[in-house]
Amino acid sequence: MTQKGHLAFLLPLASCAGAQTPLAPAGDQAAGQYSLLLLMLWVCGILYMLVLGFLAMGLWRLRRGAPAGNEPTLETPSDAVLGKTLWIWAAIIVVGLLLLAGASFLLERRLAAAEAREALLVRVSGHQWWWRIAYRDPRNGSWIETANELHLPVGTTARIELGSADVIHSFWVPNVAGKMDVIPGRANAIDVTPRRIGWFRGQCAEFCGLQHAKMAFDVKVETPAQFAGWLALQARPAPAPEDAAALRGMEIVTRGACAMCHSVRGTSARGRPGPDLTHVASRRMIAAGTLAMNRGNLQGWIAQPQALKPGTLMLPVTLEPRDANAVAQYLGQLK
Amino acid sequence: MAEPMERHWLQMPCRHILLACMLFSMPTLPACSRESRSLGPGQPQTPPSGFADPRITYFEDNLYQTAQGGRYFSWYGCAACHGTEARGERDLIAVQLRHSPSFVDVYASIAHHRGVSFGHDGMIPTEQLWQLAAYVRSLRALKREQRRRQDLDQAGEPQAMSWSGTVR
Repeated sequence: MTQKGHLAFLLPLASCAGAQTPLAPAGDQAAGQYSLLLLMLWVCGILYMLVLGFLAMGLWRLRRGAPAGNEPTLETPSDAVLGKTLWIWAAIIVVGLLLLAGASFLLERRLAAAEAREALLVRVSGHQWWWRIAYRDPRNGSWIETANELHLPVGTTARIELGSADVIHSFWVPNVAGKMDVIPGRANAIDVTPRRIGWFRGQCAEFCGLQHAKMAFDVKVETPAQFAGWLALQARPAPAPEDAAALRGMEIVTRGACAMCHSVRGTSARGRPGPDLTHVASRRMIAAGTLAMNRGNLQGWIAQPQALKPGTLMLPVTLEPRDANAVAQYLGQLK
Repeated sequence: MAEPMERHWLQMPCRHILLACMLFSMPTLPACSRESRSLGPGQPQTPPSGFADPRITYFEDNLYQTAQGGRYFSWYGCAACHGTEARGERDLIAVQLRHSPSFVDVYASIAHHRGVSFGHDGMIPTEQLWQLAAYVRSLRALKREQRRRQDLDQAGEPQAMSWSGTVR
């Protein structure tokens, strides 16, 4: 095999580490599923090795040469021990399967038991191709909306209610939670108890159309104090523009095409079809994990979203360069 | 003993059924091209130049473009006045059957819409205007049941400034 071939073989191993892998669990649910995965690996691995071992033994005995005319038949096994060992073999298989079924049953029970510890309610709705995320404010029960970035307090169990506005999606944050389908007309929910602070990556795991691959979201697990601060910030209306260019940008955003689909709380932009932009600049990525959040990407995305994410339901809005600059300036201040 | 020759599939006992299936599915193949979509930045940036604008035929014949128009129709809250239950001048099917406006007329009436709620001048990007016009034109050939089916499909979608959440 060439060196390139070796590299290609190693490529799948890249998924074993990092922000999007089930092999580095950072939450109770993910850890439970990881241990089940390890158990399956051991049970299946041991049985596989046994099968290969017996096969090798059989081949070796055959090579040593059985005398001609004395070939074993199915009716009369040449090996008298074989009849008994087959029974033992069947018992090993049954024990292995029972072990897996039992462990799976116990894990399901544990996942369901998290319901009693739910302390936070989050609604995540799948749209082609982004995530609408709404938190229920524990203080007054109102809903605080954001998009494409899920913040979770460490050590707290959050109930995530899943819904879809259009087609079937799937909510998947392998490091923290398992996977749950997001199905139109069906109320699915998943409990998440993160245990490790950090940034993780979530991804739609059910093919949902052209930009399925670019339907990702960031998950930030933080301390309860940091989370409370973040949630309080998200609940606030948008900050006022800081300079003349941003003021012009605000006028264009609130009176032009942007407001048809986007909301900026505290202004007259109240469109609901697209992501809420009230604190868009506080997010790490734009366009559902497509681009890093910075001024250049923001302006490029507004100018020509179809070039960056072909098929996206956001369409280019023709703006004079000065106005495009003003819009990006304004949105960049929405922290 | 020699193995019997493998039979050609046309000699198999179920060949009639196979042939019938193929014959019946053939007419559906041209339908694939009606869904073909052109993506990327090269989308229309200007309104139709006239009745003979070749883009009109493309948008009207393309199911993807008309379906997208239907989606924006509900996103922009058009259905609030022009939905399935609309009557009189708001009933877009009846109006079109009465006056038979051209694509250019329909496009202009959406682009310069003066509704009770809000006007549209410059509010809707050009490509969406093309899709919306194609969708409104396609309504003429749509049965009421089909339209209701469309409404059901989009029941979970946001409508302008209101969204009651996903269908659960």
